[in-house]
Amino acid sequence: MKRIAFAALMLVLAAGAAMSQETAPITEAEWELYSDRFVTEEGRVLDDANDDISHSEGQGYGMLLARIAGARDDFERIWSFTRRELLLRDDGLAAWKWEADQTPHVTDVNNASDGDILIAYALATAGQTWGDERLTASAATLAEAIGRHLVYEHEGRVMLRPGVAGFSGEEREDGPVVNPSYWVFEAFASFEALAPETDWQALAQGGLELVSSARFSDRQLPPDWLSIGSVFAPAQGFEAEFGYNALRIPLYLMRAGMGGAGLIDEMRRGMVDEDANLTLVDLATGTTKTALSDAGYRIIPAMAACVVDDAPIEPELLTFAPTVYYPSTLHLLALAHLRQQHAECLP
Amino acid sequence: MTSRLALLASAICLATAAPAGAQFWNINGDAGSVQTTGAVASPPFSAGEASSLPEAPLVAQAPVPAPPPDQPMPTVDESALRYFARQGDTRRLEIEIARLRALYPSWTPPADPLAVPLSVDERLEAVWLLYSQGRLAEARQAIAERQMSEPQWQPPSDLLDRLAVSEARERLVNASNLDQYQTVVRVGSENPSLLTCSEVDVLWRVAEAFAMTERQPRARDAYRYVLTTCDDPQERLATMQNAAQLLSADLRDELLTLERFGDDGAGEFAPVRDDLARDALAAAGEDASVTASAEDIARVERLAGEGPSASDARLLGWYYLGRDDAEAAERWFRMAFEAEAEGDAAEGLALALIERDAFAEAEDVAFPYRDENDDRRQVYLAAAANLLAVEPRVALAPDILARIVGEVVEARNAPAAQQLGWYARAYGQHETAGQWFSTALGFDPDDEASAYGLALTRLQLGDTAGLAEVKRQWAGRSDRIATVGTPQAEPAAPAPQPPAPGGAQNVQPAQPLAYAAAPAQPAAPTIIVEAEPRAAAPARTRPSSGCSASTDPRGMAPRAALTLGWCLMEIDRPLEAARAFDVALRADGATARDAAYGQSLAYLRAGLVDEAAVAATAAPMNSERSAELQASILAERALGAFERRRYAEALMALDQRAQIAAERNDLMVLRGYAYLNLYRTDDARRVFQSVAGTGSREGLRGLAAVDDQMNSQR
Repeated sequence: MKRIAFAALMLVLAAGAAMSQETAPITEAEWELYSDRFVTEEGRVLDDANDDISHSEGQGYGMLLARIAGARDDFERIWSFTRRELLLRDDGLAAWKWEADQTPHVTDVNNASDGDILIAYALATAGQTWGDERLTASAATLAEAIGRHLVYEHEGRVMLRPGVAGFSGEEREDGPVVNPSYWVFEAFASFEALAPETDWQALAQGGLELVSSARFSDRQLPPDWLSIGSVFAPAQGFEAEFGYNALRIPLYLMRAGMGGAGLIDEMRRGMVDEDANLTLVDLATGTTKTALSDAGYRIIPAMAACVVDDAPIEPELLTFAPTVYYPSTLHLLALAHLRQQHAECLP
Repeated sequence: MTSRLALLASAICLATAAPAGAQFWNINGDAGSVQTTGAVASPPFSAGEASSLPEAPLVAQAPVPAPPPDQPMPTVDESALRYFARQGDTRRLEIEIARLRALYPSWTPPADPLAVPLSVDERLEAVWLLYSQGRLAEARQAIAERQMSEPQWQPPSDLLDRLAVSEARERLVNASNLDQYQTVVRVGSENPSLLTCSEVDVLWRVAEAFAMTERQPRARDAYRYVLTTCDDPQERLATMQNAAQLLSADLRDELLTLERFGDDGAGEFAPVRDDLARDALAAAGEDASVTASAEDIARVERLAGEGPSASDARLLGWYYLGRDDAEAAERWFRMAFEAEAEGDAAEGLALALIERDAFAEAEDVAFPYRDENDDRRQVYLAAAANLLAVEPRVALAPDILARIVGEVVEARNAPAAQQLGWYARAYGQHETAGQWFSTALGFDPDDEASAYGLALTRLQLGDTAGLAEVKRQWAGRSDRIATVGTPQAEPAAPAPQPPAPGGAQNVQPAQPLAYAAAPAQPAAPTIIVEAEPRAAAPARTRPSSGCSASTDPRGMAPRAALTLGWCLMEIDRPLEAARAFDVALRADGATARDAAYGQSLAYLRAGLVDEAAVAATAAPMNSERSAELQASILAERALGAFERRRYAEALMALDQRAQIAAERNDLMVLRGYAYLNLYRTDDARRVFQSVAGTGSREGLRGLAAVDDQMNSQR
């Protein structure tokens, strides 16, 4: 059953790639708005809410959006920077943090697994879309490194380390600790042919089981950081919350066509408030900590309502206007998905 | 324009000059034909994992195998070359010519790269411009942009190659800066054209990556490639310097054999050999089991003789000092100190002088630098202690003695304080001697020699009770103290003869490094010793004869009464002294001020704190004396309050005192117990910890008491 879904996903991805030549799911104008605002001349994606630092996640998102927008020139620019400035680690993974005013610019050489996955995924699909062996080869190398250093089995489940160091059962009392939002579900199918030693399908399945069952409070939402030691519980040392990390989970599930209507709808109801804002939730009490009204956040529950219930999406969410890096990124990913898979949600 | 052409011409000449022994580029063996520098056209170093035999020079194959001579000449992409020529970028032009030659041995560079008849491809020019400006991401972007708008267009392979190499270079450097050595080696081996003499920095980084990942022979190979292939003298020297830092001695020495020599016979690696000799000497100076070769010593001696810097002479000084050759050490330190008067040479010179018993000069040399660090202070105090202990006694000038006293008190140095005791004793100043011995014991309660000196002094002064007290305290710990004043006593030299054997025992002139064995001293407090050591300072010592407690001061002239008061203080009759000072107080001016001071001291010594406080106000005193008295009075008040179990009052007095004087260890202990009695355990622990930090047992005892109290509360 799950296997079938996975195969279907690959078909969907291939179809998406094929149609990208004609009507790109991200328009040229939208991509220009995004790249003018968040991508520097030298191909660096700015996190403008965090002092304009750059990180592997941002570079991966930038490459992915450029690929979806069909902007091969900008993809090359961002990839050139990413490779030279971040893809430096001995184990083949990317250093996660880069700061313009520091020497060396990489100020934390640790990796962040979602950044690695996003970069590898963007490379894999770009290599396929544009028939560029160079990109495919780099995707394979990175996917192999991800499989070798980040994917592991724990009590019968295939899991993903958030980083190479610091999250295992040996390193933490409540370890292993995972970040469910680091499962970029749509990426794993593209790794199957590139790095066949790793069971990517089992990894996707393991992540799906986590986000289905590791949900807390009466809002029934997954936490940013999750201990999978003895029992599932929000990890120590982090806020026990459905926060900026976890809010991506339903977006990733929908983009990958995973999770099913029931799970997506439960998450939607847990995260949305009466004003249709996306809320960050304290998972100890179930109370709302912050209501996020940026269109890039609001579109996530709105898209879920449309996908599950055919609820119409308010028109202003369908127009892209850049705000800050993170919600703007999520906004374009959501719009692209609607245009590729849910034309019925569009006017 | 002319100058630009001239530049270009010279660049081409440069790139085509035939160096002696160039073996990789020689068209048809024709001596007149153009040749490239061996530097750039040699096959690059191979960073691959395959290890070469140590004897075989590691020279990899050229990145692209040269086509056999009978094959047609391949099309050589000269677009980069022509672009650099147009830009006037001579450095890149030179490298490009050399690179193309390495790739295509049968290719000849165009006679005039500027004379290009072809129409210029402006969009391609724009990419080359980005490339030459190091804007690599934008160059990639521009190529993709053109491919999108002109799907048939293919970027020149030369452009792609060069971009890839530049990207690889940046990536390698970034990885190297983050110590990602595997990445450095991987990128290096994937991009052999990076590993040439034109990129020596990259070769160094690859070598470092090998060395840091336990592949020293591979690092050696990389350095050897540079030293056998590249000609730039500065780069060769820097290569050898890097190698010397990262390689084991045998691999390093192997590379040193690749040294080239000038016409004057001077080796290019002389600076490396100099540093190695210095290192050898420094290592041998620090560890007596390490030897420096005669060659190394001779080299550094020559450098010290030639050089303007005194550091080589100092290095030699320390080396010889560590080898117990004080005479040679003194010679080199003196030379260094004359070239540059500074603390390191002064410290070494003082130690060498102490070694050969020249204590007076040692004290004088060390004095100006005593505050620079702990070592230098201890060297000074060792010089001073030895100077005081010289036999036969040498009368020291008052200013020398005064500065020694100041330092001894400030440093709370027991060995030197003890020597002041023996010194005073040698001159028959027994009261002073006794006070110095007491002071030394205050600095170090376990200093048996000081206790012995105190016992002898009390015997001398007929202070039977005092002698008994010392004996009681040292019962079972010192035989010679137990026998003082008995027929079994060691023959203690009678004053004013040279000091008792106890003095010589602790600090012998032949063992000047008393400081080496001295316990860690607390940070020197500013005012520590109050009445006693001040009065006891030999420079201020008054004649001890001619006064008696039975002398009635009433009716005496104030000045005479003042003298009597001090005299009575000397023989420790404070109550009688207070009466004498009382008479002296009737005078005006200096006499009254001295009398008030003396009376306060007298009352303090007699334990009459309040009287002392009153006396202190009887006449105006200078601020130093006043602060000193206040500090003493407050200390006594604190003690009294503590004894009456009024701990909060004791703390108040201590706090007041702390505002005008540094807190002595004994008062800190008092403070600690006051806190403890008020159940302020955290404060108590903090105070005892800081006392314990000075090496005092009282601190440890206090900490144990804190623990006891906390345990009993649980």
